[in-house]
Amino acid sequence: MKKTLTFFILLLTAQLWSQYRPNNGVTASKANVILIKNANLYLGGSTNVLNAASILIKGDKIIEVGTKIKEPNGALIIDMEGRTIMPSFIELNSNIGVEKQSFEKKNNFAPQIESLKQNSFYWNQAVHPELNAGEKYKKDLKALRALNNFGVGYCLTRHNDGIIQGTAALVTAHGADLSKDMILDKAASFYSFSKGSSRQSYPSSQMGSIALLRQSFYDLKFYTESDPGFTDLSMEAWQDQNELPRFFITKDKLEILRAMKIAKEFNTEFIYVGSGNEYESLDALKGKDIKVILPINFPEAYDVSDPYISRLIPLSKLKHWELAPFNFKKLFENGISVSITTEGLKSSKQLWSNIRTILATGVSKFDVLDALTVRPAGLIGKSDEIGSLKIGMHASFSVYDLDPFEDKSAKINEVWLQGVQQPLNAFNSITLAGSYDINIDGFRRKVILNGNGEKPTCNSFELDASFKSIDSSKCKCDFQMSGNDISIKLVNRENTSAYLLRGKISKNGSIIEGAATAPDGSWKSWSALKVLGKKVKKDTPIKDTSYVGSCWFPNMAFGLDSSLTSSKYVFKNATVWTNEVQGILKETDVLVEDGKIVQVGNVDNTLTIDAEIIDASGMHLTSGIIDEHSHIAISKGVNEGGQAISAEVSIGHVVNSEDINIYRQLSGGVTSAQLLHGSANPIGGQSALVKLKWGASPEEMLIENAPGFIKFALGENVKQSNWGDFNTVRFPQTRMGVEQVFYDGFHRARQYKNEWLEYNKNRKGKKGISPRMDLELETLVEILDSKRFITCHSYVQSEINMLMHVADSMGFRVNTFTHILEGYKVADKMKNHGVGGSTFSDWWAYKYEVNDAIPYNAALMSEQGVTVAINSDDAEMGRRLNQEAAKAIKYGGLSQEEAWKLVTLNPAKLLHLDDRMGSIKVGKDADLVLWTHNPLSIMSKVQKTMIEGRVYYDAERNDVLATRNRLERARIIQKMALDNTARKPMRIYKHDKERFFHCDSHGEQGEIKTNLH
Amino acid sequence: MRYFIFSALFLIANSSFTQKVLYTDVTVHVGNGTVIENAIVGCDADRFVLIKNALTSSFKAKNWDTIVSLQGQHMYPSFVATNTTLGLTEIDAVRATRDFDDVGEFNPHVRTQIAFNTESRVVETVRTNGVLLTQATPRGGRVSGASSIMRLFAWNWEDATVLKDDGIHINWPKSTQGGGWWAEPKPKKRNKNYASEILKLMRFFELAKAYDSNEVPFDQRLEAMKDCFVGTKRVYIHANELQQIHDVIDFVNAFKFPFPVIIGGYDAHLIGKKLKDANIPIMLDRIHGLPQIEDEATDLPYRIPALLKEQGIKFCLQGSGDMEAMNSRNLPFLAGTAMAYGLEEEAAVRSISLDPCEIIGIAADYGSIEKGKKASFFVSVGNALDMMTNDVTLICLDGVLRSTSNFQLELYKRYRDKYERQ
Repeated sequence: MKKTLTFFILLLTAQLWSQYRPNNGVTASKANVILIKNANLYLGGSTNVLNAASILIKGDKIIEVGTKIKEPNGALIIDMEGRTIMPSFIELNSNIGVEKQSFEKKNNFAPQIESLKQNSFYWNQAVHPELNAGEKYKKDLKALRALNNFGVGYCLTRHNDGIIQGTAALVTAHGADLSKDMILDKAASFYSFSKGSSRQSYPSSQMGSIALLRQSFYDLKFYTESDPGFTDLSMEAWQDQNELPRFFITKDKLEILRAMKIAKEFNTEFIYVGSGNEYESLDALKGKDIKVILPINFPEAYDVSDPYISRLIPLSKLKHWELAPFNFKKLFENGISVSITTEGLKSSKQLWSNIRTILATGVSKFDVLDALTVRPAGLIGKSDEIGSLKIGMHASFSVYDLDPFEDKSAKINEVWLQGVQQPLNAFNSITLAGSYDINIDGFRRKVILNGNGEKPTCNSFELDASFKSIDSSKCKCDFQMSGNDISIKLVNRENTSAYLLRGKISKNGSIIEGAATAPDGSWKSWSALKVLGKKVKKDTPIKDTSYVGSCWFPNMAFGLDSSLTSSKYVFKNATVWTNEVQGILKETDVLVEDGKIVQVGNVDNTLTIDAEIIDASGMHLTSGIIDEHSHIAISKGVNEGGQAISAEVSIGHVVNSEDINIYRQLSGGVTSAQLLHGSANPIGGQSALVKLKWGASPEEMLIENAPGFIKFALGENVKQSNWGDFNTVRFPQTRMGVEQVFYDGFHRARQYKNEWLEYNKNRKGKKGISPRMDLELETLVEILDSKRFITCHSYVQSEINMLMHVADSMGFRVNTFTHILEGYKVADKMKNHGVGGSTFSDWWAYKYEVNDAIPYNAALMSEQGVTVAINSDDAEMGRRLNQEAAKAIKYGGLSQEEAWKLVTLNPAKLLHLDDRMGSIKVGKDADLVLWTHNPLSIMSKVQKTMIEGRVYYDAERNDVLATRNRLERARIIQKMALDNTARKPMRIYKHDKERFFHCDSHGEQGEIKTNLH
Repeated sequence: MRYFIFSALFLIANSSFTQKVLYTDVTVHVGNGTVIENAIVGCDADRFVLIKNALTSSFKAKNWDTIVSLQGQHMYPSFVATNTTLGLTEIDAVRATRDFDDVGEFNPHVRTQIAFNTESRVVETVRTNGVLLTQATPRGGRVSGASSIMRLFAWNWEDATVLKDDGIHINWPKSTQGGGWWAEPKPKKRNKNYASEILKLMRFFELAKAYDSNEVPFDQRLEAMKDCFVGTKRVYIHANELQQIHDVIDFVNAFKFPFPVIIGGYDAHLIGKKLKDANIPIMLDRIHGLPQIEDEATDLPYRIPALLKEQGIKFCLQGSGDMEAMNSRNLPFLAGTAMAYGLEEEAAVRSISLDPCEIIGIAADYGSIEKGKKASFFVSVGNALDMMTNDVTLICLDGVLRSTSNFQLELYKRYRDKYERQ
């Protein structure tokens, strides 16, 4: 209520101010009432067109719309017979007139740890809610007029930079009165996952951005609800934005899913600016009552003329090219509120051509129009003023010569903004296209003009006495049009003389008349007549390319045609590696139902009537491989290396369900993995424990009720030993410092925990001031309380010993040492502490601290009673973990059963998942792998990989999918090749080398390869 | 004449007295694609003198100084790790230990032979898996330098050398470029300079071909190139992409090198016939790798050896790439994977023994267990291509029995003893 009142007052004041703006000279006369008549009206928010209708405008508002409006006395009457009028579009994704803030650049590569802002702003430079676009806005008329050409009348513009970007302003270009340009200051606030121009080292990854955004929300709550004892200008500004709509910029549909989790956590709502591939995650998006703004700059076809290059284009990109135009339809049909942004479009021609493409997918033009007008107006609470042609609303609309929804050649004539007609630079009502016979006082030329499009072209030919073209060689020729005025320059063939013509074009473009100067300077009159030639009929048969492929899960090579369902299966006559006391059972059946193992042994035939029978004779059945240390399937950064402690970040927030390596690992029998943060800092980030459910959403991949894990790291990586000479700034730089980072963190955590205990004790139902929620310390407290477990990257015995001492003295246990290449030297101490080891089979020699690594490590630690796993840390080796386990037989002589547990039961134990995974036992998850041979033999291949009773990899289906991939690729390449010949714009394929994350990969992109693990 | 029981054999390891030794009760994987079960193998000094099937031939004990029953184990010829920096680097992350990449674009005169570290601890751990010879290969630049074939047991680089400067290595221009570096990655795209980079390379070779050491002042670079044209040095061209391989074939035809070799050859299986007609062998990229294109079959790298074999292309396996020096010990398992994915077992053995020796030009002495060749072999309890059964019990290089231990095994024993004493 209060809000509406403020708006009302604001509007009134604006009106008063405009009257008090001083005039230079006498007041210009304005027609106060204007009637536009005989137009075809799209009203917005309606499902029909009003033909031969009128709009009555008074001042800046519409006072009447309809087909039966009487011409008022004294009104200016404008006849717009045959023209089409629709409300001005509202662009919500814009940074027009707002420049990015900039800071002095430092001239070295040393990391910038602190913010460069020299005032009491929030500590991170990517968080700046205080930036108000309305204040910084500078009218950019040229850019605004360019948008007017698109039909856009209103722009929500913002400071497009950073994670919390500040407030946006709704602006327009009134043209006559500057005070009418700013429709609404502080109309919305904007957010993103990109740190933007900030060079501050934190955050360096998307999970870091997520953590920073969450921490900021908590800080806002704390700042608002308590007395912090200091002033933070960022928080001051931000707490005033609570009532504003919040927009979130995303670059991929998975980012929408990530932002939705944040919205849920803080009980708020975001309006998502999408990226155009949302249809690929439709199942996760629908039914969630979300609002999305979609770009419609569909990808152009690739240039496929070079087969050596086109073979490198991933099928995912080909399929997206074909399916992108369906994005609007798919989302709209599924009840998602869809608006459209014109961002990324190069011309109004492209805008309308893409809109017509959307219409061709079966969407109504009224729905598309609403997505450009009524809906965006509603998103910023302005639907009572803009977005439709109704009584009392802004008289803001665009006028087209024809209906652009229906007619390709339709062009925008003019726009009206708040009752003021705006001349458009590109205004041109006459089309000049065709061959003209020019007569300049007897001198004859043939000229072919083409005034369509952005760049008019012109060719001229000299004629002989019989008025035939002398030959086919062109002469230089130029022309320009403005309204119905034209100027033409005709040069002769030898390029030695020119006629300069000026003339008027008749209404239908068939006659041009005017005056010209001849080469000798004399004035001549001239005229041109359009030659009504026969149009050459194109007789090339057009191949029907209307067939469109379906969206796969995920929408890329080897994606599944539909999501999998759980069935009842029985494996018959397999050699079953139980990992239990029964050991390896020959000719045994395993029954699977509802995703669980329900029977091991000879399964009675009566139980399997409704089951799918898998003949496993001669084959080996094992539980699925669990990779304790993996970095696949992670979006935009595996390390948050900006700070020594980054316990607040979580890989769980950035799982990428569309990494081809998920499928590749499945083909190697891997069913689960711990996706770990990297080793760039002593206390890294939280892990994601996932099952490799190919085709599922990131959320579905996360293992339900999995215990929390976190990555710690020691040694060369956290000391930044191999990061180059500039990285000598961040503490710690020695193993000595590493110990102190841990103590500091845990002492702070203890204190933090006590503050909360104290608060909760005293509160007893009363409303008190709570301590600040600190996500980093929350996580460390979980470790102290043994609710979160540590997997620590480690190499040499001294540091291994050190961390166990830190843990002992702080009262918790280290869960797992990973890499742990000198574990064999302190295996007895590890056993006493109760920590497990997850190691490489035989890697070494890649850096100084692995000098004493030996391949007997796994066997020796096992013999001392340590729970040992073998992991990959490598997308390639991850699919050969069975081979890596077999090396423990060669190096150290483990039995086959023990060796096999290194990659199955033991990692399950280390991850506290052995109650449901890691062995073939009744009641456990049906995560099973069928192998052609003994799984430890190099001859062994995976036949089937099953997770929770669903077959995610099947060797035979794999062949079918490979053939399907090939045919789909061929079909789309053919379609593109034909599209190429249509002379549409093309893009050259740029090959993105696949990047892989390892422990010490930095930044959001990972690296091509590294020797440092 | 002494009969040795097998377990006592290590006593004579590293001894170099000349004697005639006969090995019996052994399955011999000859290296040329054949296998002899229940074989007898005789060595005299540093050469094989007898390889026969025990069922069809007999021997007189008095003709031999020592007779060793290998109790049904498997004998393999020395495996050969080609195209690797093994012995040229010790710790990848420590610059001071990296001796394989020097400054300059055209470095044919730079030689690995004299930088080879015979006491490398990495080398120790490689030879105990049956890899006894290596091609120490330089990196970097357009022309990296000359490789040499080295023994993995030696006192110094002189007695390590099997073949000095066996060939020069060319890094063929990439037909795609970009990718940035890890902190500032950029998309890859078609290399606009591809044609001019090839032209520059061609000019260098034309200059080298025209060079006459008698006519002009001495030119170290061009001097080092002479042997490429007469065949006393091989020309190794590193290339993986389809476009590159086509152009390499043209390059080879233009200069008519007697011994051209393609190293890498990831896409070679796509143009098998052309390569076969051009008679260019391939030293195949490490097959324990991910498909290079997202859409390719997940197991394509594993299947490439069988695909090449099917098309009649001569090839061998090698393991260059990430951590290639230490990974050289996994060479047998590359062949094992090739075996699992379509290559016959003996063809797989051949792909890391006789095939590489023929390609690098030392097959007269090495690569197979055949009469007259150097007695260089190892014995494994089971199939040496499978990690589950690869257990090396005997190593013989040039007729001399060698240690089957290394510092890692010593460390293992030390700490195991420590725990046993506790």
